[in-house]
Amino acid sequence: MLKAIVRPRRIRWGRVVAYALLLLGAVVVIYPFFYILMNSFKPGTEILHSPTRLPTHWVITGYRLIWSQLNMPRLFGNSLFLALSVTFLNLVLDGLAAYALAKIPFPGRGPLFAIMLGTMMIPGILFLIPTYVLMYRLGWVPGFQALIIPGAVSVYSIFLLRQFIQQIPTELVEAARLDGASEPGIFFRVILPMSRPALGTVAILTFMGSWNDFFGPLLYLNKPELWTVQLGLYQFQTTVPGENAEQIWAAISVITAPLVLLFFLLQDQFMAAFANVRFK
Amino acid sequence: MTARAVMKQAARHRWGYVFIAPWVLLYLVFGIYPLCLSFYLTFFDYNFINPGDQAFMGLGNWAAGLTDPLFWHSMFNILYNQVIFIGLTLVIGLGIALLLQSVTRFGRLFRTIYFVPTVVSIVVVMSIGGYLVTPGGPLQGYLLQSGLLDKPVFWKSELWLSMPILALINTWKWFGIETVILLAGLLAIDPQLHEAAAIDGANGWQRFRNITVPMLNPQIFFILVMNGINGLQMFVEVYMNFDLYGGMYHQALTPVLYVYAQAFDKSNMGYASTLGLILAAIIAVITAAQFRFAQREIE
Repeated sequence: MLKAIVRPRRIRWGRVVAYALLLLGAVVVIYPFFYILMNSFKPGTEILHSPTRLPTHWVITGYRLIWSQLNMPRLFGNSLFLALSVTFLNLVLDGLAAYALAKIPFPGRGPLFAIMLGTMMIPGILFLIPTYVLMYRLGWVPGFQALIIPGAVSVYSIFLLRQFIQQIPTELVEAARLDGASEPGIFFRVILPMSRPALGTVAILTFMGSWNDFFGPLLYLNKPELWTVQLGLYQFQTTVPGENAEQIWAAISVITAPLVLLFFLLQDQFMAAFANVRFK
Repeated sequence: MTARAVMKQAARHRWGYVFIAPWVLLYLVFGIYPLCLSFYLTFFDYNFINPGDQAFMGLGNWAAGLTDPLFWHSMFNILYNQVIFIGLTLVIGLGIALLLQSVTRFGRLFRTIYFVPTVVSIVVVMSIGGYLVTPGGPLQGYLLQSGLLDKPVFWKSELWLSMPILALINTWKWFGIETVILLAGLLAIDPQLHEAAAIDGANGWQRFRNITVPMLNPQIFFILVMNGINGLQMFVEVYMNFDLYGGMYHQALTPVLYVYAQAFDKSNMGYASTLGLILAAIIAVITAAQFRFAQREIE
């Protein structure tokens, strides 16, 4: 196999094998999504007895059931509210911190940045118990603030943005200063517009992280009115075989579709966001 | 510098502090304080529902944690899982990156397809994956039909199969991102290196072994460190598929699941904190060892 990969040009067969393998990989990736979608349009008995076939009767029972059993607008509203608040706060607060670290040489900047880099390596598990105790004492459990406020800044995003802002010519910033622009003015009118690619990366990673998060909402939003889509889907997870069969596939489709569509629309930005990943 | 310029500079520095303040403040409250609290809690038998009756334990939690057979069992489980996961994703990720580099058409399309599972949440992936491999599910149905399997496998109650199956499902979710990282590394290798080696008579395998792999060291190192920090903290995968103690043989108990069970099932916050700190220390040692090893490789 390796020969075929390394020297595809000399042997025509090599190219055939390469495409065959790539196609196989694509089928392995796509099949589960196809399977979900097909089963979401089947009646319950068909899901259980012929899970791998195409639906013989196309029905939307699953979608009806999740609509009646879960407050779908509420779940989507909660997830969206959470993800958008965290993303917005991160863009502004991380941007400000990154600008200061990149372009304002205030005393103590070096050590502060070194501490920041160090904290990027600390495993999240360390914060799990004490943060829960702290939130509980503050009376923030259950509540959105327990996820939004600590999530309003991200060391990793500050790091990414600082890297990018450093590349903006300092002369531009100096020129704005000479023109009498204030520091916040420079940030909003010069730095932010010029950092769009990096802000896009931060927005994608933050939004996706929040939308897909399960552990955070499990700890801090454990109340049906506060559930996110992920917690809603989890309600259909059961140990009884066959139970909720219709709901599971419809719920997965509804929850996954928006993010997959967003990915196809912004695929270059998504890939760039992940290809830039450094020690997270 | 004139007095005026000095004042202007001071004003600018003040803005610097203002801009950095939200992060510093949040970091102190939700970073430093919890770390100290965590360390403090390890010396107590602390139950957050009745915070009044906390009993000082001294080093009791530490002694119990370091000798807790279930905790070490969970450490073994996660290492077993990660060895399989890292092996699979590296081989598949590198294989596909090499394939993508060798083809001229549709490469972008394939890369996009492989990346889709990365944007899907773990809850969704585990719901699909867990169902596809379930006894009576399509995968086992096919294997039974073709005679590759002689009876259905109840993987959630198999001592040695639970972790490999989870690793397999996670491989499906994450191989795309490793493909993207490794492909970026492959494309950065100067093709002249391969040409020169080919002229010197090196065959494909020799070039792969002596040029491709060493040149990909930074990417492979990055993947290993990332997995060391994130992979060892696996939680949702086991929480969704098993009980809080990882199944009947504890075969799927991970350290974080155990910390969660101690904290929220047994209400032993002090003990849970201790286990969390021990795990963090283990992760730190593994990460440091990887850096040390990488440095020696470079020298």
